[in-house]
Amino acid sequence: MAAPVRGMIGSTSIGNTTSFQKKTRSKLVSIPGTRPSVQNGQLLVSSGVSSLDYVIGGGLAVGTLLLVEEDRYDSYSRMLLKYFLAEGVVCGHELFLASARDHPDDIMQELPSPIVDDVAGMKISEGQSQPSDPENPDTMKIAWRYQNQPKVQTALASSVRFGHYYDVSKTMEPELRQAAKCHSFYQLQETPVVTSKVRNVLRLGLHSLGSVLWGDDVCCKDNPAHCHALTTFLYILRGLLRTSLSVAMVTVPSHLTQNRAVMGRIIRLSDTAIALESFKGSEKETNPLYKDYHGLLHVRQLPRLNCLSCEVPDTKDLAFKLKRKQFTIERLHLPPDLSETVSRVSKTELAAGCGSTATGNKHLDF
Amino acid sequence: MLLDVMQAGGGFILLEDSVQCSARGLLRCFIHAALKRGEDVHVLGFESPETQVCAGLDSSSVQRLHFHKGFPDPLGWTCRSSFTVERFTSQHITQLIKDTQHAQASVLVVDSLSMVLRHHDPVVFCQTLQELRNGGVIKTIIGLLHSDLHQQGIVGIVCHLAGTVISVAPADNERLSVAKTTRRTKSGKVMQEEEYFSVSEDAALSVQAKPRQPGHVQRERDVSEADPTSNLTFNLRLSEDERKAKEKVALPFVFSQQKKSALLRPTPGSGRIVYEPDANDDFDEEDPDDDLDV
Repeated sequence: MAAPVRGMIGSTSIGNTTSFQKKTRSKLVSIPGTRPSVQNGQLLVSSGVSSLDYVIGGGLAVGTLLLVEEDRYDSYSRMLLKYFLAEGVVCGHELFLASARDHPDDIMQELPSPIVDDVAGMKISEGQSQPSDPENPDTMKIAWRYQNQPKVQTALASSVRFGHYYDVSKTMEPELRQAAKCHSFYQLQETPVVTSKVRNVLRLGLHSLGSVLWGDDVCCKDNPAHCHALTTFLYILRGLLRTSLSVAMVTVPSHLTQNRAVMGRIIRLSDTAIALESFKGSEKETNPLYKDYHGLLHVRQLPRLNCLSCEVPDTKDLAFKLKRKQFTIERLHLPPDLSETVSRVSKTELAAGCGSTATGNKHLDF
Repeated sequence: MLLDVMQAGGGFILLEDSVQCSARGLLRCFIHAALKRGEDVHVLGFESPETQVCAGLDSSSVQRLHFHKGFPDPLGWTCRSSFTVERFTSQHITQLIKDTQHAQASVLVVDSLSMVLRHHDPVVFCQTLQELRNGGVIKTIIGLLHSDLHQQGIVGIVCHLAGTVISVAPADNERLSVAKTTRRTKSGKVMQEEEYFSVSEDAALSVQAKPRQPGHVQRERDVSEADPTSNLTFNLRLSEDERKAKEKVALPFVFSQQKKSALLRPTPGSGRIVYEPDANDDFDEEDPDDDLDV
C-alpha cells in the first residue's frame, strides 16, 4: 500500500526514509522536543546529532538507555554527551549529569550554542535539483540527461527535521543554560536531588561509567571484583528508565576494559549501543581512505521495542566527522579502483591451462 | 612539543619508560625547568638519591627544592626515610605541601609511580591522584612510570588519567632517544608528536625533530604517476587548433537548449504506454478461456 505523502520537503530520494506521518490522536503525550516514531509508535527524543538519530532509527526512545563506547582520548564521546545535554536545554527538558573526572559544571559550561537560523537544514534540499545552465561548468555535454540526478548521497539525513544543529566553536549562552533545570552528581561531592511535578522528559548523562574514578576496577583487572556491581546498576537503571519519562546516555571507556566478556554484558544490558573509534594516534590516521573523516562509528546494538524487528541502517561502514556546525555520520564508500593492475592478474592465470602449446612448468597431473 | 610541555607545565604529566631506555634524565630536566620558573618543587624520591637530583643547581633553586627522602628505604623497614610509600595519600601529601612556607605554585614530582602502584590498590591510587589534582594546592604533578613493571590495564588507566603522556624509547642512533608526546587539552583536542632528544650532564635538553621515514617518501613517489602520453611512437596529444576543431564537432542527439530543459523537467507520468492498433490487429473482446470445460 502506498504511503500518503503529506507535502514535506525533499520527499523520497534520500535513502529509505519515508515522509509518512501518523495521524496523531489526542491521547498521545505531547511534550516539547519529542515526536512519535514511524516504526513502532514509541515516543522519540533527539540525541542532538541528526545523523546519529537517523542511524539509530529516528531518535532515542523515551525510557531507553544509549551506551556510547568511548574513543581512545574521550574527545568525541564527550562531544556527543554535550550535544545530548544541549539538545535537552534547547527543548526544555530536565537534565541530570553525573561525572567523576571533571566537574559537571565544567561540562555544562562547554555546551555548544544552537544555530538559530535554518542554514544547515536548507542545504539538504538545495543539493537535489540544479537547473542545467550553459555557463555552469558542471553542465554535461553528452550525458546531459543525467544532469538532475542526485549524486551519491553519503550523508545520512532524514526528510523530516527533528533536532537542532549546534555550533561547536561557541558555547551556549548562560541565560539559555540556566533556563533549564539541571541536577548534577560529582563523585567527590554529593548533592541531594529535587523532584518536580511537571510532566517533562529527564535526560540523564553519565560520563565515563566504569572508569577508575568511579571506584570500579573493571578497567584494570582481568577478573574484576566490581563487575557484578556495574552490571546490577545498569539493570536497575534500565528498569527505572522504563517506568519514567527519561532517557539516559552513558559513556564507557571500553578500550580500557581488559575482559571482553564484561563489555559484552554491558552492551546486552543497554538498549542502543554505539562505539566510536577515533583515528588519532592509530595507524589508520595515514590511510588515504580515511582522510576526510575523524573516526569510525560502529553500531553494536539496536533495540526492538514493542515490535519484532528494528530499523537497521543499510550499511555497517559508517564514519564520522566533527565539523564546526555539524557532527556528520556518513557511509564509507570506496571510490572506484582506477589503478592499472587490478584485473590483469586473473586473466593470465586463466589463459595458461589445457592449451596444447602450454609447456614448461605447468604440467597437469591427473 | 616536548620543550613546550616542559616550559608550560600544569596538569598531570606522565613520563613512561622501560628498561631499554630510562626517562630519569628527562625527569631531571623537568625539575630544573620548574625551578627556573620559580616554582616550589616537592620530590618524593623512592628510587634515586637526593644528590642525583640536586646536581647542577644554584643555591636559590636548591631552597625551593624539597626532597622527601624515600631512597634507599621506601617501605620504612629501617626507619631511615622521611617519606614512605604508605604515606602516599592525598591528606599526607597536601599536608606536606602546606607545611612549606610561601608556597606559590607547587609542583609534585614522584619518582617513581611504579613503586607506589606496587603497594597501593590501583583504584585508590587513581582517586588519590584525582584528589591531588583538584585540590588546588598543587599546580603540576609529574610522575615517572615504568611501563614494563605493570599489567597493561594498569598502565592504560594511569595514561588515561594523565593530561600529557611522554613515552621514551631507544632510537637507532645511540646518542639519542625517541620521545612520543601525546597531549590532551581540556576541549578534547589531542596533539601528538615524536621527537629525538638527548639530555646532557647539566640537565640541558636538546630536542631534534624526527626525520620523516623513508617509507613515506616511497609512497609519495608511487602516487605521482608518469604521464601516459609521453614516450609513445604515435601522437596522443592535441594542439590548440585540433582541440578547437574537436569541440566544434556536432554530436548526435544534441538538442537545443529548450528541448533539453523540456526533457529534463520531471514529467508526472513517466512510463506511459501509447499503443495505436495496426490494421492487422483484431480486437476480440471475448475471453478465450470461456471455452474451457473446467
